[in-house]
This record gives sequence, structure tokens and C-alpha cells, in this order.
Amino acid sequence: MSSLSIPDRFFGRTGGGNDMVRCLRYRTFWLAFFALLIELAPFSFLRQAEALTVEEIALLKGPGRQKVLEQGAKKEGNLLWYSTLIVDQLVRPVKVAFEKEYPFIQVEFFRGNTERVVQKAVSEYQAKRYDVDIIDGTTSPTLAGKAGIMQRFNSPYLAEYPAELKDAQGIWGATNLYFLTLGYNTRMVKPNEVPKTWDDLLNPRWKGNMIWSTSRGSGAPMMIGNILLSMGPEAGKAYLLKLAKQSVAKSTASNRQILDLVIAGEYPIALHIFNHHALISRKAGAPVDWQPLEPVTATFNSTGLVKNAPHPHAALLFLDFVFSKRGQKIFQDVDYLPAHPEMAARQADLKPGGGRFKRANYVSPDVQYEKGNEWIDFFQSQFLK
Amino acid sequence: MIFSRSDQPRAVTTFPVLRAVTHVGAEMWVLICVSVITAYLVLPPLFSVIQTSLFTTRLNGELDQFTGKYYRDLLGGLQLAGPLLNTLCFSLGSAVLATLVGGFVAWVVTRTDTPLSGLGYFTAFASFGTPFILYTIGWLLLLGKAGPVNFWLRSILDSSGPVLNVYSLGGMIFVEALLWSPFVFLMLAASFRSMDPSLEDASATCGAGVWQTLRRISLRLMLPAFFSVILLIFIRAFESFEIPALIGLPGDIRVFTTAIFLDAQRMPPSYGSAGAFSVLLMLIVAGTLYVYFRVTRESTKFQTITGKGYRPRLISLGRWRYAASAALLLYALVLLVLPFLIVLWASLLPFYMQPSLEALSKLTLRNYSTAVHYPKIADSIKNSVLLGLGSATVVMGLTTLASWILVRTKLRGRWLLDLLTTLPLLFPGIVMGLAILRFYLIVPIPIYGTLWILLVAYVTRYVPYGIRYTHAGLLQLHKELEEAAYASGASWSNCMRRIVLPLLSPSFFGGWVFVFLLSAKELSMSVLLVSPRTPVVSVAIYELWDNAQVGELAAFGIVWTAILVSVSVIYYLFARRYGVQMQ
Repeated sequence: MSSLSIPDRFFGRTGGGNDMVRCLRYRTFWLAFFALLIELAPFSFLRQAEALTVEEIALLKGPGRQKVLEQGAKKEGNLLWYSTLIVDQLVRPVKVAFEKEYPFIQVEFFRGNTERVVQKAVSEYQAKRYDVDIIDGTTSPTLAGKAGIMQRFNSPYLAEYPAELKDAQGIWGATNLYFLTLGYNTRMVKPNEVPKTWDDLLNPRWKGNMIWSTSRGSGAPMMIGNILLSMGPEAGKAYLLKLAKQSVAKSTASNRQILDLVIAGEYPIALHIFNHHALISRKAGAPVDWQPLEPVTATFNSTGLVKNAPHPHAALLFLDFVFSKRGQKIFQDVDYLPAHPEMAARQADLKPGGGRFKRANYVSPDVQYEKGNEWIDFFQSQFLK
Repeated sequence: MIFSRSDQPRAVTTFPVLRAVTHVGAEMWVLICVSVITAYLVLPPLFSVIQTSLFTTRLNGELDQFTGKYYRDLLGGLQLAGPLLNTLCFSLGSAVLATLVGGFVAWVVTRTDTPLSGLGYFTAFASFGTPFILYTIGWLLLLGKAGPVNFWLRSILDSSGPVLNVYSLGGMIFVEALLWSPFVFLMLAASFRSMDPSLEDASATCGAGVWQTLRRISLRLMLPAFFSVILLIFIRAFESFEIPALIGLPGDIRVFTTAIFLDAQRMPPSYGSAGAFSVLLMLIVAGTLYVYFRVTRESTKFQTITGKGYRPRLISLGRWRYAASAALLLYALVLLVLPFLIVLWASLLPFYMQPSLEALSKLTLRNYSTAVHYPKIADSIKNSVLLGLGSATVVMGLTTLASWILVRTKLRGRWLLDLLTTLPLLFPGIVMGLAILRFYLIVPIPIYGTLWILLVAYVTRYVPYGIRYTHAGLLQLHKELEEAAYASGASWSNCMRRIVLPLLSPSFFGGWVFVFLLSAKELSMSVLLVSPRTPVVSVAIYELWDNAQVGELAAFGIVWTAILVSVSVIYYLFARRYGVQMQ
């Protein structure tokens, strides 16, 4: 009805200026309205065809995949990564290399220990705040997956990895291996004094002179788990009760920070640190070295995509990058231990069979998830006063 | 109307009665507005805390089943008896020690003729706005087993092991008390400044010496101020996390907060024990506050600013003033200079080494170039400054009105306002952060991940601190000044603007600077509420420590301390020039 009145009003009267203005306004309004309708109708149809859900993007396969990801990532422009990796040793080099490869993507990151990364992401998801794209950590993707905030994904590069280094469900893939050993200050511990076996730690000389982290993913609970698994529940428990009498100091900080306390001379021995951290500091001239106590606790850093990632295209390019040989090269160059089977460690003796130790006890993320609370309970009841 | 409800009829003349009819409406409106705003800020966290303490949590963070288990664990299980005892010793020890140190410095600076008294202000300002973690790291480097203090002590005492163990209850109390002493200084300086000198003069006339007057007159007048300061520090130490984590845990001194932190490593995290802990803390604090209000109820006893000239006289210390300025120097040295120097030293090294000739050869500026290139630093400084300005202004505006209602009016229902403005004291920061996070998950106000949620959090948390300033300031301001204004025909707004606010300005500015500095270093709530895109200084520094970037942290910390020092110098010059009192 009103559309009929437009020509009527416009053509029928040519009177005063006021009417003229009103007519023009009407016409402009309706023209704009129709233009918008025409504009919108096919557009919304097209958009529906074009827009893929995070899940669809995550599971893309085939030859067109890379192009779709790059096109999408150009629009997204950045990605947010919650990491447990050490910022100056690894996160920044990876960020630089990735941004060089894809100059249209900016990598932003937040660093915390395993449980902190998970709790942060989970509480954000509870608040329906979908900011984070990528999560990594020894158990972080597994824990976040159990909380229902992870997305299965497909990366062609993961085909090159053995089954134990990628999740059967497709929630995560491994980027680098970890071997947790003793670390010590070479000025405070003489070469002949260095503990070589678990029993050497019970020497009264070390009472009050050792420190470990409280972190679930790589600290005291993990070492307790390794001992209970490798020595068996009975013998393991008996050993740990003796160790508890050695008053081991605790810290809530990262293993990297604990090793720095050892370097500064606050404690001669860190019980359970990443051996490549000791190597990196040693190369920089710090008075520190590592010593394996067999079997060495072995685990790896797993990385995955978050369910409602706001930048899924960029995130998948990033995942592809860190699993690919190009990305694994960055890990290798900074003396981390690449997970890719064809990428060796720059310093071979950091890994089992490299000359310094043979036996390692692989604790998978699933085992860590199932037994983690038990190990924390043991830690809290026996090692805390 | 007011006359009939007033229990102090002596002060009321016919003029105020006439005035009362016209300004009662304004009072009521102010009461309603302030109450609604405060209720909006305070009640959601309270609800959330109680709710959390009664339910188990699922892995995805949702509340699961109703349970009383957290209370049973807390009260029934002897597991927490040790932490409870440690917590009480730690909190009480730090509160008393901080009050002694800070109170002494405040008295020397404000009431005596000691040279260098400006130094007290610099030290307090500059150290107070710096995140605790920076100084804690500094003191740990100084006092640690391998640190220079132990090294010297060892060579003096000819001992082989570390002489001083900082990782002990004593070490925790020492560091926490030093950290809080500027807080005591800032709170007590205002009260010392605005004390009625006639009582002291009377005492002096009667033949009492300086110490006797101090003990029998000045300190007694300051009783409510002292008590509230001890109470605040007790609460803050009770809920603090940095010192217990950095110093307590390595030394096996477990307190409530670290016990809860370790519990949260279980999956799903048991937020319930944190909730139950907070409810317990609330009960303890509520009991203490009850005592506090009993003490300050007869508030006229402590009114020290009356219509008579009230600028207190400086006490001449004679020869002792040099000893007093030496004490000020020592305070500045221990609180500011030494930790600053050792952190500066750490910032110049690729990895930390004890000060030695060998280490000199390794000095580098690499950490500074990284700190400059690290784009978050400029952002976090900007955000922290913005938040400090915002929260200080909002808090002081809100609390000035609130205290005026509490102190001056006889409105029914003002007890509610009193309660609302005190409630935030009961929340440990980490719990309040969590509660605010959870509240904005239910309410469709999309401020999570922005600076606004931090502003809401800071304002809520610091209302009780602001109100200590304005409340104490108004208590000391005798009613007769306002009555004189009304008697001369001033309106309510006129009287506020021309009498109350100017007289209150020392407390107002003191409180403003105080809240600004508190916001600048807030960590426990911010750590939960910031997003990686809205960084603030305290969280950035905490994360650098956690991630073992101590060199970068030190470089960043030095830059931030330099900024705070220049801000306080500017404030000091401004205040001196325009006659704003430095409180």
C-alpha cells in the first residue's frame, strides 16, 4: 500500500518545498530499502555456502585445503595461543618464524603452567568468551578435551608421526619431547657427589638442599607418578616415604624458574627439570648440568585446537606449521627435542640411547589424566607439612 | 524530625532544624544512590562465594552437586590445623610489625622537626605502587641462602652454612611487614597531621615530656586509626598469596592460600574449598570488625578537628632528630634502594649470578632491548595508569558521600550502607576475582576481557580502603563547623562544597593516591580477569617471574619504578606549590 503511494505522492504533487523534501526522503528511504533487500538476498545465501564452521575447517582435507586456510586466515589476521612453553627459549622464535612464513597473521600468546592454561580457557568458555585458538602442554589439551572445549582436527603433517605421538581422537599432536631429570649447580655439587640413582637422593648431605615444582604437568606429582609406575606401588611408596624425610623445598613456578634458582645458588639440586633447559643455560655459560636418574620421566608437549576458536583458519595453519619439518626445525635449532620422527635432537644425548641414559618411562597424557589426582594426593599428604 | 531522632540534642539549635527540612531529601537520595551502586558491586560476589562453597565443580567449571564436604574438610579435618596456625601467626605478626614500622615513620615525618622528612613520602609512594612480587624477588635475592647478606654474615661469623634462613615464618613476617609499612604510613600520616594540638599543649603545660605526651595523649587519640590499620593488614596478610608462595612454600610453611592453590591443581579444581575458606575468613573478619565498631562507636571521643585552629604543632626532638633522620634513611635504604639495586643487578645479567667480579664481565643490556621490543610493556603501563586513575576517582567520590551519610546523618538504614561498604574486605582477592568472573558469565553485560571488568573489580575491592580515609577524616571533623555554615544560611551543597570537602581534602587526596597505588599493583584478582589483549603491569611482572624471565622482569620493574618515582616527585612538588597536604 505504501509502495503505491510513492509514485502517487511524487508525481501527483509538485507543490511546496516541504512536500518536495518529504517526497524525496520517502523515495530515498524506499530505494535504499529495496536496494538492501536485493543486496542481502543472494549475499546471505552466498555467505551460508561460504562460511564454514570451526569443525568443518578443522576437518578439511584434500588439495584445496591450504588455499581455503590461507584465504580465511588473511581475513582473521591473528591468532591467540595459550602455551606452557618457555617464552624466550621457544615461544618467541616460533612466533617469529611463523609470522615470516605467513606475514598476514600475528601470533599473540599467554604463558602459564599446565593447570593454569586449562583453568583459564575453561573459565573463559564458561563465560562464553571465545578468545583462545590454540592450547599446548603436557596434559593441557587432554584436560581441556575432557572439559569439552577442544575440537578434533586434521593436519596432513601428523601422518608422519607414530601413533603414540598423536591423539587417537584427533584432539592433539605432539610437538616436542620432554625428559625430566635432575639438574644441579656444578659449583655446589662436586662431580663425584652427583646423585646417580634414586637411592643417592636419600643421602643426608642433600637434606633441605633439593627443590621441585608443584606443577601437575611436570613437577612433583609427575615424578611421584614415574616412581610409583616404574618401581611398582609397594616399593615406590616405600622409597617416596624415605624421600619425604629429606625436606624437599617446593615452588609454584615453572621448572625453568626452579632451574634458575639452582643456577643462582639457592639450592644445589633441582629434582625434576627438563634436561634441555640445563643444556641451554650451560651453553650460555651458567654453572649447571643435568643428571639422569633411570628410568627418566618422559612425556611430551601436545598441541591442539580449541572448540570455538575465533581464528580457525590461522590456527590450522599454525598447527600445520609446528608439526611440519619446517616448524620442527625451530625446535631443533633452540635445543628443544623435536617430536617429528625424522628430526633428530641437535644434542643427541638428551634423548634415551644418546649415550647418557637408556631407560625412560613414557607417561602418556591419558595416564597423567587418570592418575594425576592420585599423585597430587600423595604429594600433598606426604610431602607437605 | 532529625531533632526527635537525634541522641545528641546539645549540638542542635533551631537553625539546623529549619535547614533539616530542606536538605533531608538530598540526604535520602544520596543514601539510596550510594547504597544501590555499592550493592550492585558487592552483593554478586558474596552470593557467588557462598554458592561455590556449597557445590562441587565439574571439569568444565559448572557447579555440580550440593555438598557440605568443604566445610567438613575445613573444620573437621585436622589437615588444616597447621595452615590455620601458620596463617594466624603470619597475619598477626606482619600486621603488628608493619604498624610499628610504618607508624613510627609516619609520626617522625608528620609530627617532628626531623630533617629529610620528605624522604618518607618518596619511599612510601614509590614502593607502594610497585607490585609486591618485584620487591619480594629483590629481598629474596638479598636474603636468600646464596645472597649477599648471608655471604657477609657467613664471613663475619665464620660459619659454613647459611646464617639467616629467609624461607621461614620469621622471613615471611619480615618481608610482608616491610611491604605493608608504606600502607601504614599513608593511612596514619593523615590522622597524625589532623590531630588537635590543644590536648598535647595541655599535656605539655602540665609538665609532661615528649614521650609521656606521645604515650598518654597522641597514641590514645590515634587508637581507632591504629586499630583499623592493624585490622586491614591482618586481613590482607591472611588472604595474601605472593609471600606465602615465594617464601613460605619453599620453607614448608603452608598457609590457607597456598593450601588452596595446591588444591586447585586437582582436576576438576575444587573451588569449593576456596569458597569455604572465604566464608570462614568472612566470619573471622566479621568478628574482628564487630570489635572495631564497638571501639569506634563513641566517635565524639576521637573528634580532633574542631572549630578551633587545628594545625598540629611540630614536636622538637632536639638532638634525637639526627637519629630520626638516620632511621628514615635506613628505612628508605631497606625498603627501596637495596631491593632496587639488586633487581637492577639482575636486569643486567643473562642469568642470575651473585654479585662478584667474575659476573661483571657478563653484564649486558640485552634484557632492556627485549623489554623495549616486548610490545605488551607500553600497553600494560598505559592500562595500569588508566585503571588507577579511574578506580581512585570513583572510589573516593563514592566513599566521601558514603562516609558523610554514616558520620553526619541519622537516617534509618544507613547501617546497610555501612555493611555494604565493609563487605568487600571479607573477600580474598582471588575469590573476589573468581566471583566477579562468574557473575559476568550470568549477566549479559559483555565486559569480560576488557578493562571495564578490572575497573569494576578494583572499585569493589577498594571501597573499604577509601572509606577508612574519608570516614576517619570526617570523624575528626567536628560537626560544629557545618552547623556554623547552616546557621549562616548555607545550603547542603554549599556546605559540602565550601566547608566539608576542603577540610576533608587531606584525607580525600591521601585516599586517592592510596587507591591509585593499590590498583597499580593489584595482582590476585587481575590475574583471573585480564585477557592477553588487555595486559596490566602487575600481571605482566608476575608472569615474567613465573616464566623465569627474571632479567626481563627486572628491566621492566626498573622502568615501572622509575615512572612511579617521577609521578610521586611531581605530586610532591605540585602539593607543596598548591598547598595540598601530602597525606
